[in-house]
Amino acid sequence: MVGVAESIANLEKRIDQLRAEVRRAAMSGDRARARALRAELREAERAWDDAIAEVERKAAPVEVEPVTPKQAGPLLPIREQVHQALTLLSVPAAPKLIVAVHEAFFAGQMLGTRLTSLRRDEERSFRSAPYSRPYYICSALTADLLSAARGLLAISTWPMSRRIIGPLSPRVDFLTAAIAVAEHISRIPDPAPAATRLLWRFAANIPGAAEGFDAMEPASVARAAEAELAVHLDADTSLREQAGQRARSQLSDVEQLFGSRLRAVPGTSGGAREAE
Amino acid sequence: MNETEARLARIRGAVPARDHNARTIAALCSNPGCARRAVLDAAGVDKQRLAAYIDFPARFGQSQFAITRGNAFEAQVKANGCAELLRLLREKLGLPIPEVSYDDLELVGGNDSREVRYARSRSLLARAAASGAGAGTLFDHPLLRLEIGGRKAYLEPDLIAFQLHDRFHVVEIKSFAVIDGQADAGKVAAAVTQAAVYVLALRDLVTELGYAPEKVAHDVVLVCPENFSNRPTAVLVDVRKQLTVLKRQLSRLARIDELLAALPAELTFDLEVDDAGVPTRPAASVVEALRTVQARYTPECLDTCEMAYFCRDEARDDTAALGRTVRDELGGIESVTNVLGLANGSLAPAAEQVEAAQLLQMAARLREESLMAMLRGVAL
Repeated sequence: MVGVAESIANLEKRIDQLRAEVRRAAMSGDRARARALRAELREAERAWDDAIAEVERKAAPVEVEPVTPKQAGPLLPIREQVHQALTLLSVPAAPKLIVAVHEAFFAGQMLGTRLTSLRRDEERSFRSAPYSRPYYICSALTADLLSAARGLLAISTWPMSRRIIGPLSPRVDFLTAAIAVAEHISRIPDPAPAATRLLWRFAANIPGAAEGFDAMEPASVARAAEAELAVHLDADTSLREQAGQRARSQLSDVEQLFGSRLRAVPGTSGGAREAE
Repeated sequence: MNETEARLARIRGAVPARDHNARTIAALCSNPGCARRAVLDAAGVDKQRLAAYIDFPARFGQSQFAITRGNAFEAQVKANGCAELLRLLREKLGLPIPEVSYDDLELVGGNDSREVRYARSRSLLARAAASGAGAGTLFDHPLLRLEIGGRKAYLEPDLIAFQLHDRFHVVEIKSFAVIDGQADAGKVAAAVTQAAVYVLALRDLVTELGYAPEKVAHDVVLVCPENFSNRPTAVLVDVRKQLTVLKRQLSRLARIDELLAALPAELTFDLEVDDAGVPTRPAASVVEALRTVQARYTPECLDTCEMAYFCRDEARDDTAALGRTVRDELGGIESVTNVLGLANGSLAPAAEQVEAAQLLQMAARLREESLMAMLRGVAL
């Protein structure tokens, strides 16, 4: 056994040496030598693999606790995962929240890094073949300038007013999402810890939602959120409706989904506000 | 003024001016007596590069990890329409429930140029100030402007909250922890000074809009992680003292022409960069130019000024380099050599130094005796 371990150590040393030599050869531009060295390196690595396999085979089987299989890669394309999460939340959301919702309620892994380019890909796809997909992951629009709201994703099939973000909308959307999450949790019999944690993140910031993490009830979280929502909802809805109409009448198809760039939109409340 | 501008441009040389930010303005206040820093900052010289060029590279600077951590914490506090921040403001400041409006000023219609952002910040804040409560509560990353030494510097506070009591509050989000109600004094001081810079800039803005400066509260809200968790907590900090210091320092900066009058006319810190961006001016000549502007080195400079290592080297024999308390303890004698000379009696004290010399000699004797006693203890 000791002998095997020694030979493995030797092999590792050899692999390190070979790597350094390959690097030197590659840097000096000696291709033939680099190629030969790499072949040698692969040979050494294979020998190392074999040796390790041998050791594993010989070693006495140890009682290992069964490892819960790590969740496999994504089951659905990223845009469908985002669609699922957004549909559950029912409001425009930031990538972070989308990932949290996905982890809490859906199977498979969502790669947060892939969300960054998603919106751009969707825009490109829409520009090259408009309306060829049943839905697009698009931007939320700011109420005043109708430009893309920073860091929010939405679904193209939602009514325009839902995709508009006015000054009160972030809070309204937060409360609406809290209600959606609370209701979803109350429907499932045994919510995952990630789901409860997600609800707590909402509940902690809603007045009167829960005394503490352990005493949290989905129903009371939803009630508290509705109570605060009632305060803001009317003002927010009317502003969103107005801006939504403006967006539908003034923007091109692409702009309606992905926002306009800055330019003066004449005769709008946004323009009037700037002029004040 | 134009003459001063031209003069400063010559001192800076043919490179774009470095802009002030809240950090550099706060650093200026920590050592108001330093002419070197005042001149370099007013001219917008790239001190980091200058220091590196003369072989005294600054070893500080914000670490990438600190920046990432700070940004992550800020994002957490502001996530979901500032949900966490709203809770804090409601709990600590009694912000009423309907006050949740949030305006993002970081991008204006996909445009992030500073002029556009400043214009928009200004118009939104003007609207909020004019229509009182209900027209804007939280303003995320507004862009403010402060005139520093005749040049307008753009500043970007983390957030401004607008209160029911018709006053703006500056909110500063920092990622150092408040443990058991206590936080690192140095970091708090730096954060508070930065916040004071924002308060000052915001007061300038509201005065321009025709309101009293008191419309901006002198209490700033400092948001930090609580204890060892990532949960934010908020404290109100009074910045009146820092505001006074800042104002004095800025008025002093405005008199930069007086400082310049005392300097040789041909003074410049131009590194004479060639087309490839490589400096061609000999380092010795830059050092010579630097020495014509007087510095006032204190140990605190190490934390705030890029030139600190150069100045420390220059002030090596100076007791001031050891800090003010040490200098006072040494009886106000200026050089370390003299202190040692007076202590061991090799230097005859001047008339005004007799008392200090006696004290120093006594201290030297005391040290020797305690050392001897310790040595004897070891021998036993």
